Amino acid sequence: MVVGEFAESCDVVVVGAGPGGYVAAIRLAQLGKDVILVEQEARLGGVCLNEGCIPSKALIHATDFVLEAREAGSMGIELGAISVDVPRLVAWKDGIVKRLTAGIDQLMAKHRVRVIQGRGAFASPKRLVVSTAHGPTYVDFQQAIVATGSSPRPLPGFPLDGRRVIGSREALALDHVPVHVVVIGGGSIGLELACVQAKLGARVVVLEAAPDVVGQHEPEVRGALKQRLKQLGITLHVGARAEGLVEGDRPSVRATASDGSELSLPADVVLVVTGRVPNSADLGLDRVGVALDERGFIRVNDRLETSTPGIYAIGDVVGPPLLAHKAYREAKVAAQVIAGEPAAFDNVVVPAVIYTDPEVAWAGLTEAEARARDHEVLVGSFPFRVSGRALTLNAPEGFVKAVADATTRRLLGVTIVGRDAGELISEAALALEMGAFLDDLSATIHPHPSLSEALLESIEAALGEAVHVARG
Amino acid sequence: MAYEFRFPDVGEGIHEGRVVEWLVAEGGTVGRDQPLLKVETDKAIVDLPSPHAGTVLRLHAAAGETIHVGDVLVTLGLAGEVAQAAPAPASTSAAESPAPAPGPGAPAPAVAPSTATPSRPPATPHTRALARRLGLDLARITGTGRDGRITNEDVASFAKAKAPEPEASAAPLAAAPVPAPSTTPPRPGDAGLEERVPLTHLRQVIAAAMRDSVQTAAHVTHVDEADVTDLLALRRRLNEKLAPTGSRLTLAPFFVKALVAALKLHPKLNASFDAAAHELVLKKYWNIGLAVDTPEGLIVPVIRDADRLSLEQLSARIDDLAGRARERRLSLDELRGGTCTLTNIGPVGGLFATPILHQPELAIVGTHAIKERPGFVGDEVRRRSYLYVSVSFDHRFIDGAEAARFLADLVTRLNDPDRLIASL
Repeated sequence: MVVGEFAESCDVVVVGAGPGGYVAAIRLAQLGKDVILVEQEARLGGVCLNEGCIPSKALIHATDFVLEAREAGSMGIELGAISVDVPRLVAWKDGIVKRLTAGIDQLMAKHRVRVIQGRGAFASPKRLVVSTAHGPTYVDFQQAIVATGSSPRPLPGFPLDGRRVIGSREALALDHVPVHVVVIGGGSIGLELACVQAKLGARVVVLEAAPDVVGQHEPEVRGALKQRLKQLGITLHVGARAEGLVEGDRPSVRATASDGSELSLPADVVLVVTGRVPNSADLGLDRVGVALDERGFIRVNDRLETSTPGIYAIGDVVGPPLLAHKAYREAKVAAQVIAGEPAAFDNVVVPAVIYTDPEVAWAGLTEAEARARDHEVLVGSFPFRVSGRALTLNAPEGFVKAVADATTRRLLGVTIVGRDAGELISEAALALEMGAFLDDLSATIHPHPSLSEALLESIEAALGEAVHVARG
Repeated sequence: MAYEFRFPDVGEGIHEGRVVEWLVAEGGTVGRDQPLLKVETDKAIVDLPSPHAGTVLRLHAAAGETIHVGDVLVTLGLAGEVAQAAPAPASTSAAESPAPAPGPGAPAPAVAPSTATPSRPPATPHTRALARRLGLDLARITGTGRDGRITNEDVASFAKAKAPEPEASAAPLAAAPVPAPSTTPPRPGDAGLEERVPLTHLRQVIAAAMRDSVQTAAHVTHVDEADVTDLLALRRRLNEKLAPTGSRLTLAPFFVKALVAALKLHPKLNASFDAAAHELVLKKYWNIGLAVDTPEGLIVPVIRDADRLSLEQLSARIDDLAGRARERRLSLDELRGGTCTLTNIGPVGGLFATPILHQPELAIVGTHAIKERPGFVGDEVRRRSYLYVSVSFDHRFIDGAEAARFLADLVTRLNDPDRLIASL
């Protein structure tokens, strides 16, 4: 840590040490740049590592394990009564986070990236002022990367109190299992956390204001997901509006259902996950002429250049999809551009995963999107319930759906719902990035028995050559 | 927000086209639905309209250049947005140099990666990086791979082709002429004795279609003769009656009507072959293709539902289609979906010819020159008008006897207009 009243100088300052910022810092250092990384939190890694992707996946895995253990009877395995020691579970998760953030500290040290803890704001196009615990510090730079990420969108009527009304950060640190949980927001984060709480034994109600959950995805995704949510005992109200919190002995959430009727939902904990907003305010961006779009995201071109020469921006703060792996890629591109290498963010697809049960993952276009772009489409799908590997894993839920252009037979998109969808989607992402045709995939040998065969089968189905599914 | 207008997939298996001319210029403004450019495809010259109003920031293809479906053609600054300092300087070398110094960052296309589309011509990440290293714009490189896939070799040969350019590029300020699509340099000894004519896109398409058709189908031509004296008399009477209305019937509508009537009796001649399913597809609609001779080559517009049109409607439709075919202003829809083709070679002369099938159709009917000869009517010799009518068919699926019966039914209706009218 460096503090002081005089100005530090460096080649590049990176503001924000989330997945975008710390990766940019490392890559810049590898390219020979002298880098300062500014982070307001004590721990590096950002939301992803500290209160997002990693801790949530730890809890999701643990609760999946609980559920599988409970269901192991069907395989002849009786484990007796299963109890979950929630504080120990949370401690295990915290241990993972600690280990990973410590790893980032080491990487910074190894690459001689100087880290300043404090909140950065631009004083001029060449100077950042960092408010540290010990007063302001100045950083003079040649180039800057803004990687300040995003924050939960506040919901009027439900101010977070850290106790009754909480956000995703607190939800991952609950030390007990509430009896009644109301989740406001049926997006990916809301559904993931709803699954966690339900598997731990809470009675979960999800309120979603939109007419349906995961509306932008293949319609089959909604079907598969909703069926499983129902099995898990999760009640879903779509088109419903949360009106307010009623405190008392039996606290509850007041809501209006889609048909206009009043709902009163018991709520020991209210989890507010209604989207995220960019952290672009209070950074002095207007002072240095960095333009924002109408939603507050920083405008950049494919070289991640903002409207101010020498200032770049990456990650959530430049707009959707708000995903760590998009930030990783942007970080590397921005670092290369700064180092004078030809580079641009020219990716064909950004795959995405929802770690619900079952997992949902996709890359490229959905069938509807492909049609909207005037493609005549070939579509093939394959259900995991006829996959040998899925059955041996006791995971028959879900399917793989592939969409291709009917004329050229080029793959346009893949959606996967099911066990390990988040792992399986990478093959589709590679195929799309390489510009693969259906027969590139169908002629690739997939190991048997494996879940990856399902992608092969869906491709063959699109070609009208399905082997293991009778044609309808 | 900058918007990239790409060469849309217009269907009908059209993958590429050629830019005929730009109707807008860099820096100019364009309204929604205003034509941006003229593109020559396999079948027609079409205007591509702008889907949005805005400012033309950059044209990505030069006149004469071949473009593929998915290629970026124009970058538009959408209306309500200030055009960024033209991101494309006129000099090609400057525009494509890697220029590490971050220019006055035109925050042009916001990254919006979720909308990145797999519809642009495929190139692997490795190839894309190679092009970028060489300072080349992938959108200007023609891919030789499947579906226009751009390979490392394509990038390398493009780089080689433009290598000698930079020295010259300092010079002219006037409309820097884009290097014309390579005209072969004259060879020693040719001196005026030979002329080399580059093939038009249309000619290349016709060439491929003709070769494919001959290689695919088993062509046989059957010829018969019709006595059209009475038909000509009928037409004359009708035209006298129509004269006050200003409309006039040619013979073509009668031929089409007779053809449809005969096709209805012989469905196999109004059919196509589905090779994948190994099935004949008998069409229950009668869309008659009409071969039209144009200065640039043969074009076959389609008269949809010819069975439902009156002679007058048919006549107007044929005039309209043929006229626009000569001007190359037909839409793609007007060029596809034919079920049987009629080629009227008669006005040019000759006895008869043996046309090539218009795939995937199984029959093409030719009407040839009308010649006057003495002929018997009862026991008397009269001055009669005769016409050779041919049917060329795919012997893989249609036997000679079937074709002969079809042609006899057609000739009967041409010989005797009363029979034709009875079948209308």
